[in-house]
Amino acid sequence: MEYEFPEELKYLQTHEWIRIEDNIATVGITDYAQHQLGDIVYVELPEIGTTLKKGVNVAEIESVKAAGELMMPLSGKIIEVNTGIVDNPESVNSSPYGTGWMVKIEINNNSEIDELLSLEAYKEIVEAEKK
Amino acid sequence: MDFVPHDDKTITEMLKVIGVNKIEDLFIDIPKDLFINGLNLPEGLSEPDVLKKLKELGKKNTIYTNSFLGAGCYFHYIPSLVDFVISRSEFYTSYTPYQAEASQGYLQAIYEYQSVISRLTQMDVANASMYDGSTALAEAAIMASIITRKNQVIIIEGVHPEYIDVVKTYCWGQDIALKIVSVDKLEDKLSEEIAAVLFQSPNFFGDIEDVSALAKTIKIQAPNCLIIQSMTDPTCLGILKPPGETDVDIFVAEGQSFGINPSFGGPGLGIFAVKDKFLRKIPGRLVGKTKEINGEREGFLLTLQAREQHIRREKASSNICTNQALCSLSALIYIVSLGRTGLREIATQNFQKAQYVKNKLREIPGYEILNTKPTYNEFIVKCPDIDSLIQECKSLDLLPPLPLSKYYSDMRDIALVCVTESNSRDSIEKFIKASELASNKQKEGRA
Repeated sequence: MEYEFPEELKYLQTHEWIRIEDNIATVGITDYAQHQLGDIVYVELPEIGTTLKKGVNVAEIESVKAAGELMMPLSGKIIEVNTGIVDNPESVNSSPYGTGWMVKIEINNNSEIDELLSLEAYKEIVEAEKK
Repeated sequence: MDFVPHDDKTITEMLKVIGVNKIEDLFIDIPKDLFINGLNLPEGLSEPDVLKKLKELGKKNTIYTNSFLGAGCYFHYIPSLVDFVISRSEFYTSYTPYQAEASQGYLQAIYEYQSVISRLTQMDVANASMYDGSTALAEAAIMASIITRKNQVIIIEGVHPEYIDVVKTYCWGQDIALKIVSVDKLEDKLSEEIAAVLFQSPNFFGDIEDVSALAKTIKIQAPNCLIIQSMTDPTCLGILKPPGETDVDIFVAEGQSFGINPSFGGPGLGIFAVKDKFLRKIPGRLVGKTKEINGEREGFLLTLQAREQHIRREKASSNICTNQALCSLSALIYIVSLGRTGLREIATQNFQKAQYVKNKLREIPGYEILNTKPTYNEFIVKCPDIDSLIQECKSLDLLPPLPLSKYYSDMRDIALVCVTESNSRDSIEKFIKASELASNKQKEGRA
C-alpha cells in the first residue's frame, strides 16, 4: 500500500502533518492515519481562541470503527478550524492534506518546530508500524 | 436465531482432529487441587415434587392486595397487553438482541421505545435504556463531568436516598466530588467549577419542584453547568410539564411504573434522555433506522457506536454495553396501549386520589401533612403513632406506607404515603380507617 506524504510538510509520530507558513501552522491527519481509521463520520473541533500546549489532545476524530485524537504538534492559539469537515467528514479520507485539514494554530514557541519530524523520519515510523 | 448444540458424534470428530482423547484432557493445565470434587447438592426432584416445594415456599410471602407504599417502586395497573406481547418467546428469551442480521424485531421495538420516551419527555434523544433510575442518574453525573471537564457535582436534597448512595459510589470511582445541598442554599453553592446539578422532581418526599424556574436560575448562575432531572414515577408526565420544555439538559427516570411488576424491588428500567447537543456523549446503546445500500427497504441497527467502550475503550464515558430490553419493551407496550389520553387519565387519578387521602388525613386529629409544595401521588405526613398505623394497615391487608426513619433517623413518626390509580375506593377507605384507629390508639395510650 503506497501512502501519500507530501515532501514540504512536517510530521508527528502520532500521524499528524503540519504546514508552517510564517507563524501559522495548519494541521491535519496523514494519508496513513485516514486509512487506518476508515470512513470518518464525525470530527469534534476545538473552540477558536483556545490556547493549548504541544502534545495535548485538540480534536476528536470518529470513524465507523474507531475513535482517534488530533494532538497539538506545537503550542499555540487556535485561530481557525475547518468547519467544512463537520458537514463533509469524508473529505478527511479523500483529501487529508487539502480540504480535509483540521485546525490552524498561531505558534507561540518557535523552538518546538525543530522537534517535528521530517518526511524521511516519519516514513520510517510508518514502515515500522506496518510490520 | 436457533441454538445449535454439539452432539456426541460431532464432539468425537472434533476431538480427533485436534488430537485429544476426551474433553477432560483440554483442562490438563489446571492444577488438580483447583478441581471441584463433587457439589454438595441434594437429589433431583420430579416435576410434581418441585411444584409442591415451590408452592410451599411461595406461601411464606405475605401478599397484600392493596398498597400505600411507594418510595421508588410503585403499584400501577399493568394492561394485559403488556404480558401478552413480552411473553412471546422471541422477546422473552432473547439475549443481547443487537445484531442487525438476527434481531430486526427487537431492534425495531427498542427504536420505538426510544421514540415514545423522546416524545413523552420532549427531550431530543432517548437511549435504549440503562439498568435502572439510580444508575442512570449516576451515569448522567459522569457524563456531565466528562463534557464540562469539571469534577464537582451538586445533588439537591430530595433525591431518593438510595439514588444518592449509588451516585456517591460511581463518583468515588471517578474522583468526582459530591455535595448535597438544600434547594434554598443552591445559589450560594453554584460556581464555574460545578459539572452538574442533580435534582429529583417530584422528589422523594412528594414535592413537585418548579423545574422551569430552578433550571433557569442554574443556567444564569452557572451557564456551563449541566442540569440533570431525575424522577422515580414517570406516569406523572401524563399531567406535568415535560422536561424537554425546560432547560433540563439530561433527564433520567425509573421506568418501572411503565408496565413492570414491582416484584421484589426489581428489575428496573433506566430511562435516559438528553438534549440534541449531547447526542455524541450519551452513554448506552442507541438504535437507529436506516435504508439498504442497494435498495429502499428500511432496517434497524445500533448506531453511533464510536461512543461506546468497545471502540473508545478507556476514553468512553461509560462501560455499559447493554440495555433492559425486555423491560423497555414492557414500557413501550404500556405507553402505546394507554396512549396520550390514557396516560393523562392515569396521572389524573394518581393525583386526585392522593389529594383525597391527604384531605381525609387532615381531618384526623394528630395527622399533619408536611408538604408545602404541590404533590403528585406521594406525600409525607406526621403521624400520632406511626407504629400503630403500620400495624393497623397490615391487619386490614394494606401494604403500609414507608416510615421515613428508615432513611432519616431524625424523621420519626413521619410516613411517606403513596396513592395510585390502582388504589380502589375500598382500599382508600380502609387506609383512612387504619389511620383513625392508629390515632385513637395513641389517645388511649395517653389516658
